[in-house]
Amino acid sequence: MSDAAIRNEAFASKLALTYAEFFDGVSPLRQRVSIRVNGDALELKNVETHAEHRWPLSTIRTLSDQASTEAMTFAPDDVNPARLIVREVGAMRAILNTDAPLRPLTGRRGGFVRLGVMATLAAACFGGLLFGLIPWFAETAAARIPQEAEVLLGQQQYGLTYGRQRQCSSPDGDAALRTMAARLTENADLHVPLTLRVVDLPHVNATALPGGQVTIWSGLLTAAERPEEVAAVLAHEIGHVAHRDPTRAQIRVMGSYGMIGLLFADTFGTATAAMVGQALDASYTRSAEADADAYSHQLLIEAGVSPDALGSLFARMEQQYGPSPDGLASLLSTHPAHADRIAASRDAAARADIGAGTPILSDVEWAALRGICTAAPAADGEGKG
Amino acid sequence: MSVIRTDFEGDRGALFLLALKTGALTLLTAGIYRFWAKTRLRRWYWSAVRPGGAPMEYTGTPLEKLSGFLFAIIVLAILLAATNFSAIMTSVNLLDEMPAVFTTIVAIIPLLTAPFFFYARYRARRYILARTHWRGIRFGMEPGAIGYAIRACFLMALTVLTGGLLWPLMTFRLERFLTDRTWYGNARFTQHGGFARLYGPLLPFLVTFWGGIALIGYFLAQIVTMENGVPQLPEYVSSRTETWPLWTGILSILLSVLCAFYYKVAAIGILASGKTLGDGIEFDLYPRTRRILKIYFFGFHKTWIASGLVQSAVAGLIFGALWLGGGFSQEAIQAMILNPPVNVAIVSSVLTFLLLRLVFGVFWHTFITYPLIAHLAETAEIHNPELLNGIRQRDADRRMDAGGFAEALDTGAAF
Ligand SMILES: [Zn+2]
Repeated sequence: MSDAAIRNEAFASKLALTYAEFFDGVSPLRQRVSIRVNGDALELKNVETHAEHRWPLSTIRTLSDQASTEAMTFAPDDVNPARLIVREVGAMRAILNTDAPLRPLTGRRGGFVRLGVMATLAAACFGGLLFGLIPWFAETAAARIPQEAEVLLGQQQYGLTYGRQRQCSSPDGDAALRTMAARLTENADLHVPLTLRVVDLPHVNATALPGGQVTIWSGLLTAAERPEEVAAVLAHEIGHVAHRDPTRAQIRVMGSYGMIGLLFADTFGTATAAMVGQALDASYTRSAEADADAYSHQLLIEAGVSPDALGSLFARMEQQYGPSPDGLASLLSTHPAHADRIAASRDAAARADIGAGTPILSDVEWAALRGICTAAPAADGEGKG
Repeated sequence: MSVIRTDFEGDRGALFLLALKTGALTLLTAGIYRFWAKTRLRRWYWSAVRPGGAPMEYTGTPLEKLSGFLFAIIVLAILLAATNFSAIMTSVNLLDEMPAVFTTIVAIIPLLTAPFFFYARYRARRYILARTHWRGIRFGMEPGAIGYAIRACFLMALTVLTGGLLWPLMTFRLERFLTDRTWYGNARFTQHGGFARLYGPLLPFLVTFWGGIALIGYFLAQIVTMENGVPQLPEYVSSRTETWPLWTGILSILLSVLCAFYYKVAAIGILASGKTLGDGIEFDLYPRTRRILKIYFFGFHKTWIASGLVQSAVAGLIFGALWLGGGFSQEAIQAMILNPPVNVAIVSSVLTFLLLRLVFGVFWHTFITYPLIAHLAETAEIHNPELLNGIRQRDADRRMDAGGFAEALDTGAAF
């Protein structure tokens, strides 16, 4: 070919062609190519070496989420690393005006199988840990924990939970509480001695912590109309102690510490993790609650008190505060719905058939217990239980 | 000798919209979309950085990130359970009651936490490099996460034990470990030089840190008395005691944090100038500490203001809705603002928390990550670029956890 012919050819192609920057995916050499749509393919021709590449229009990909709008980058398909960078408007138009689908580059396909396997494994692993290994470990550990260690654990928990609350105590009130507990536990076989406390908190509540630490909130004493209602709640907490529920729950919490947080590490952080953790906790404890109720019915009957007392307390609270949550909210609630518990206590009372039963405290003792948060403190503040 | 420079080309407004859109989708999908969000933002940043006018490219996919994350949390959940069990057994004296093998296994696992952090970082870097292209050629990194983790722990311990005296040794050795395992196509990066050059920028830190310690020590020496060989703090400090060593000492230690930052920025430039690629491609990077501090300061400032606006907007929205839609009187609303009922408080705090998270992420990208990358890119130089033409493609590196460990542990990587 003569020089003139080359020059003519170059001139002619300049009229018909547009140009772009090309990287062949083999070397980082920057190549200048002419681009032309020919049938169902895009033809790239190196302007110096005249080497040619044909990209089928149907597989050409565009790069998405690009920062610059002045250039467009194209790939021949999802795996080939070759790239075409187009800056000239004419060249862009030449490609965009074809009927090429120009799907965005997504990279190698087929990640779904691996994802499915991983998701299944993750579900099995978390399920196995949260509903299998950790509860099993808690069960085993709660049964084997030395008594001193359990009491220590409970004292730590007490400090964390009630450390800032005022603890109520009066000589007569403490004595009344002791009498009530003694009546209830006469036939109970507890692995740790009970430590009873009353704290000055306005809600109707009581808790059992590891090592036999039972705490009554003063709100319960105010809400109760008769001592048997307090005894019914106390018996329920003693049921937890007898079944080692608080120890088991505590070990379970320690065992699953941080595990839910792993799932939500980056996005929702503690809020979601806490909510899921609460739901999980509730799912563990609802059967323990029913067991504690059943145990408490037994204790009450043996002490000559009708289990109905729990029912009457709950029924009155429901009138005052509305029914306990059910549906979605009940998933987050650790105790079964009030209605079920009321029914169960009435059933137990009917079966036991002890009528009104014998009063668990005298009127004087009852008055002393109710006044425990307002009376002068006992000389020996620790002398309870 | 020829040089190519790096352009940073990208519209901040477009990034703001992308971060907002992907952030909102992440919230709406309970976090699942974050793998897509991360991928899209990386694609954007990579394409904005253009050494010699050719954009970088990020080819990672969201699905591989999700798979990698699931793999990582499986491993971490098992390690965590073992750690928790060992903590329980030691704290409640169960050790005698459990089989000995079980006890030893669970006792060793907590010791793995620190190395795991470095392990995760190495894996994340390796993943990112394997998914980075420039001029159609892949970057890559050799395996070596375990070796890196062991060295990092050892060097970290040395640095802490020597009060920072051996910090340059740690910086240099770890950077060399990473650099010498990094490839562009079939060409390898090499870290030259030694750690001695890093002492210059470390000097201000050493002076302020040790000076502060000395001043506080001098102050304590004045007031501490020895009783039976046991040092005792006095009940009160006499008015004749000189207190200037105490507060200048504290000031000096606070200043040393800034000096540590200066050291880290300066080290980036020094280490970059000691790197070569292949047969003699060289680099330079000139990050300016003052510029970077400014970026952080103004970025935080803007984020702070936006967060304040979000909080008032949420409160306004909720109480406005209660007032207009709930039929509450103005007085009732005022009482509610002062002493919000539990459900209103929960709704507004959850909403505020989620929106803050979103706004924080969006502002961080727009006003901190964006200018930081732009600054670094614009100060970068590549010398002898003609040598690039001798480089050839490398094979794709597919089997890995896609940075899942770093994601699950939240190791604080910039992206
Ligand atoms: Zn209960």
